[in-house]
Amino acid sequence: MTAFTRISHSPIMERGYIFNPHIVVVMDETLLADAQARPLEDLPRGGVALINSARGPIFSEDQAGHVFMRINFTDPALRIIGKPIVSVSAAAAAAKLCGLRKQHVEEAVREELSELGVRDELLEKNLMLMSETYDNTPRYSIKVDEERVGAVELVDPASGRVVYSDVFAAGNAVHRATGNWRVFRPVVDYGKCTGCKVCFIYCPDSAISLDAENKPVIDYEHCKGCLICVVECPIRAISSVREVEIFA
Amino acid sequence: MREVDMLTGNVAAAWAARIADVDYIPAYPITPQTEIIETLASWISQGLMKAKLVQLESEHSMLTAAGTASLSGARVFTATSSQGLLYGFEMLYNIAGWRAPLVLVNVSRAVAAPITLEPDHNDVLAARDSGFIQLHAEKCQEVLDLILIAYRVAEDHRVMLPVIVNMDGFYLSFTREPVYIPSKTDVEEFLPPYNPPHPFRAGRPVVKGAAVLGGHIYAYFKHNIHESLLRAGDVFKEAAAGFREVTGRFHSPVEGFLLDDAEYVLVVTNSFTSIARKAVVRLREKGVPAGLVKLVMLRPFPSSDIMEKLRGRKAVAVFDQNISPGLGGVIYNEVAAALYHVKNRPETLLSAIGGVGGKYTTVEEFEHVFHMLMHPEKTQPGKPVFLFRADELAHVQTALRLAGYTGEET
Repeated sequence: MTAFTRISHSPIMERGYIFNPHIVVVMDETLLADAQARPLEDLPRGGVALINSARGPIFSEDQAGHVFMRINFTDPALRIIGKPIVSVSAAAAAAKLCGLRKQHVEEAVREELSELGVRDELLEKNLMLMSETYDNTPRYSIKVDEERVGAVELVDPASGRVVYSDVFAAGNAVHRATGNWRVFRPVVDYGKCTGCKVCFIYCPDSAISLDAENKPVIDYEHCKGCLICVVECPIRAISSVREVEIFA
Repeated sequence: MREVDMLTGNVAAAWAARIADVDYIPAYPITPQTEIIETLASWISQGLMKAKLVQLESEHSMLTAAGTASLSGARVFTATSSQGLLYGFEMLYNIAGWRAPLVLVNVSRAVAAPITLEPDHNDVLAARDSGFIQLHAEKCQEVLDLILIAYRVAEDHRVMLPVIVNMDGFYLSFTREPVYIPSKTDVEEFLPPYNPPHPFRAGRPVVKGAAVLGGHIYAYFKHNIHESLLRAGDVFKEAAAGFREVTGRFHSPVEGFLLDDAEYVLVVTNSFTSIARKAVVRLREKGVPAGLVKLVMLRPFPSSDIMEKLRGRKAVAVFDQNISPGLGGVIYNEVAAALYHVKNRPETLLSAIGGVGGKYTTVEEFEHVFHMLMHPEKTQPGKPVFLFRADELAHVQTALRLAGYTGEET
C-alpha cells in the first residue's frame, strides 16, 4: 500500500508501508486485476476490501477469506459533483468501517478542503457526497487473523557479474491496459460518421485507428476516456457512456 | 490553527520557517520537497507570512541566492532534495565559507542512477564535508523543532555557519503526525531576530568571499570553519536547553533509548529509528538487553557523546541507510573512528547497510541485526551486512525477467 492511515490509541512504532492492513480501499476496481498493483496482496484473512463498484452484491468473500464490500462511489460523485472525484466517498466509507463518527468525518472534510482553497459551493457538494456515502456504508465489525510475524530470510544480493538497469524488452506499453482508467467510454455512431478523421488526428494516445473506409476504430484496451474525440467530432457522432467494464 | 495538528514533515518544515519569521525563501521544485515551498507560497499569497519567495531557475541559483541574501542580513530558508542538492553542491561550500547562517531543509531521496524518488542518505551525507551543520529528524515534530533550534545555533556569533536539517522523503515528508506548533511569542523569546555581525549597509562596503591565494591563508580559514563547527555542538546543547524551557521538548545530539543496561546496541539515524525502536522493545520483552542510540547531529560529529554512550557495551551495530560504494556504510566508519580511543570499547562493531533507495527495513530485519550481535562468531569482522530479503531478491529477478534480461547481455 502506498497511501495509508494508521489509527491507534497507543503510540505507533511503525513507519512507511502497511503490510497487514485491516481495510483496503480500492477506488478503481480495475486495479483488482492489475498484476503490478496487487491491492489485496497483504490483506489478511477477514480483512475488508472496500471497493468502488457500480455492480455486484454489497458483500461477498474471495478464496483468501477477504471480505469484499462494494459501494458505488463514482455514480453519486457524478450526480452530486459532476465529476468522478471519489476521495471524499472513500474517506467516508473507510471512516465508518473504523467506527469514526459522521460529525468528525464532516469536520475533517471541511478542514481538508478549506485548506486546499475549495470554493464553498464545491465544499458543500463534497459534504453531501460524504454524508450519502457514509449512510450507504453498512456497519461491519472486522475480525482479521493475527498479524503474521514471519522469520526474516536474508540473502546476499551479490550476483558475481555486472547487472544493468536497462530494459531490453522495450516497446511494452501496449501490454498495459490503460483503458481501465476510463470512467466514460466514447462510442462512435457509424451511421452518422462521415470519416473526416478529426477524431483520429486529435486522439492524444493514438488509440484511434482507421479502417478501410477511413472510419475510426477505437482501441478500448488503451483509450483512457479523455473524451477529446467526443468534443472534437464536428457532427457529434461520438457519444460518451458510463464505463463499468474491466479489461484484464 | 490549533496548538497541535496533523502535519506532514513538509508542512511541519514550512511551519518552522513561518514561526521563525524568515525573510527570504529562494525556491526550486523537486520531489519530495515541493510541498514545503507550495505551502509557504500559499501562506505568503494569503498575507499570512511577510517573507519574499522567489523561484529561481535551478538549485545552483537557488543556493547562490540563499547564501548572498543571508550575507545581506536576511533570515533565509530554503529546501531541496537529492539531485537538487547535488546540482547546487559547489555553493554549499561557498555558503559555509561565507559564514552565511541560513537553514536548508533536505528531504532525503536516493541519488540517480537508477532513478527513484524514495529516500536514503547518500544525498545529504555527500554534503558532510561542506561545513554545514547537519541535524537529522526521526519524526515530523523533530523537523519543526530542529529547524527552530538550527536558526538559533547557526546565527550564534560563536558559530555563524549554515545548517542542513534532514528528513526522509515519504517516510516523513508525506506522513502526517501530530505536531505541536509553538506560539510565535514563545519562539520570539527563544529565537530573537537575526543580528548579523557584518551586514551590508549603505556607505559601509564589505567584500565577502575574498580570494586568498597562497595556501596558508585558505588553510587558516578552513580551520576556523572546522573549529566553529566543533563549537556548534556545545551551542546546540545550550540552544536545546533553551528550547526545552519554551516548549517542554528536549533534543540532544545523541539520544539513547532503553540504553541503561543495554549490552547490544544499534546506532541509527532518521525515520527508520522508529522501526528499530520497535525491534528493541520486542527484544526487551524476550529478555534481551537491547538498546538504541539515535544520532540527531551528524555534523559536528558527536564523537564524545557516542564514546560515552557506547563504551562498555558488548556489541554494537551501526545501521547505515547509505552506501559508499567500495567502502560500505559512511556512519559506521565514523563511529568506528570515534570508538578507537575508547579503552573498554565494544568487542564487536557490526556494519549493517539497509534502507538504500527507501528499501523498507522491517522490524524483523532490525531484530536480525541484534541476533547477529548476539552471535558475532557468525559474522565476518569488518564486512558490512547488506540487509536484503529473499522475497525482495525474487521480486528483482521477476523485474529483470520482465525487462528482458537474460544475463547474456554482458
